[in-house]
Amino acid sequence: MSAIYFSVGPQHAGSGHFRMKITLQGDIILNAEPDPGFVHRSVEKIAETREYLQNVPLIERQCLSDVSSVTLAYAMGIEELLGIEVPPRAQYIRVIMCELSRIMSHLYWLAIFGIFLGHSTMFMWPFGDRDIFITETAEKIAGARVSYSYIIPGGVRYDLPDGIKEHTLKTLDYFQGRLKEYDAIFFSNPIFKRRTKGVGVLSRPDAIRMGVTGPTLRGSGVRGDIRKDEPYAAYDELDFEIPVFSEGDAYSRSLVRFREMEISSSIIRQAFENLPEGDFKVKTRKKVPEGEVFSRVEAARGELACYIISDGTRKPYRVKMSTPSFRNLPGFSLMKGSMLADLPTIWMSLDYWPLDADR
Amino acid sequence: MLAVANAFVGRLRSVVEKIVNVNPIRYIVNWGKLYSLWPVHLTTACCSVEFGAANCPRFDVGRMGVAQFFGSLRQCDLIVIEGTVTKKMAKRVKKIYSQMASPRYVIAMGACAISGGLFYNSYNIVKGVDKILPVDVYVPGCPPRPEALAHAVLLLQDKIRKGRVNITDGE
Ligand code: SF4
Repeated sequence: MSAIYFSVGPQHAGSGHFRMKITLQGDIILNAEPDPGFVHRSVEKIAETREYLQNVPLIERQCLSDVSSVTLAYAMGIEELLGIEVPPRAQYIRVIMCELSRIMSHLYWLAIFGIFLGHSTMFMWPFGDRDIFITETAEKIAGARVSYSYIIPGGVRYDLPDGIKEHTLKTLDYFQGRLKEYDAIFFSNPIFKRRTKGVGVLSRPDAIRMGVTGPTLRGSGVRGDIRKDEPYAAYDELDFEIPVFSEGDAYSRSLVRFREMEISSSIIRQAFENLPEGDFKVKTRKKVPEGEVFSRVEAARGELACYIISDGTRKPYRVKMSTPSFRNLPGFSLMKGSMLADLPTIWMSLDYWPLDADR
Repeated sequence: MLAVANAFVGRLRSVVEKIVNVNPIRYIVNWGKLYSLWPVHLTTACCSVEFGAANCPRFDVGRMGVAQFFGSLRQCDLIVIEGTVTKKMAKRVKKIYSQMASPRYVIAMGACAISGGLFYNSYNIVKGVDKILPVDVYVPGCPPRPEALAHAVLLLQDKIRKGRVNITDGE
């Protein structure tokens, strides 16, 4: 039987702006080659032409489903260069925003994963719940639906509005009830288990060798999370655990994300409990002193690092982002040797976000 | 011989076009187009986040008879350009548009699709999708809210309702 060659994407809803070149023999994928770069918008180069503060919305656009973590990495870098101390209240608000953003990003992933596996209910539910988070929390706190540029160097843009604690806790109560339903209808569903268990197995040594990150790494039994390894913002004052599953298949990767949504909810509750009073922002200078800085955070998809070189002017000399989706790109080689029907499972279990990878 | 035949077909066409554009017939043809605006499965950049939200329970643009995703390009009438079109993507966008059967409509969603938006000085983008496709409705915003997209769909339906039927469309 001769092999056939075809591409999946970019004209396909789930794939987004991304293409897979697949060589298929019978039902077995012989070769799977990712073709990224459909949304390379040269964020890093443009960042050199704009002022430090103007870069916040620009850098945010590279990962619109998880905006807070991206802007936080950038803001932390500049704060280190400026040598300023962010007030504790701002640190807590940042934690709240990052965890909200993590939940929303995971819900987005869950929706697409659901539809990729042909489960339309699991497409509608998470998307509906994501919108509740957007309108009840993010929009009330930051004033925009998804692109809010809320975390800026020096703190956050506005203080929390009145009554947001009650709103958020109510949303989380509802959401934690929903998680049980998700579990019943999807994660404990025998069909889901049959379709994901033992599919796309990434062993622990392979995961480390490939340099994958985030839930993909933790699904292979490695306890790697910047929130614990190198705590930033207020994470060292909060009590939470890191979910790790050792099977390394699509099922354990999805369970990591599922558990993370629960844990994020508890982190947000704790952060509201311990929220200190005080300033939410300190004044910053427009000119940033000369120097280089490397900062990293744990975004929803994994470790996100930002490297900034400043030459003492109002604009950065170089901004380099190392993004989790790009680091998870080698994971697509797991498709080799698997069946064609497993392609969507492996694809979405990596939670690849093309914008994040191409920048 | 061919010239005569061509002239005949041309005359026939103009006669048919005149008949079709008489009001009741025109109305019925346009009414048929109005509620079958099925978009292509194509996402070009980050505006897709809000496009997804527009399709989902809270906003549900589908209740206007549009935005029900459909697999085949031949049966799609609408292409929503969701954000930045890079040079690499532009080739594919053109190819996809040319595979769609007429009548076909284009909605340019987001500042990037209108004029380049935040990335106006990038070296790798097409500054405005109207450079490569004829755009019917522009939706400003970065990203536009789902309500704005719903409004754009209504505007497009209004445009179709008022428009002439063009039987030579797409040739
Ligand atoms: S308009 Fe804004 S949200 Fe839309 S693609 Fe451009 S940068 Fe992204």
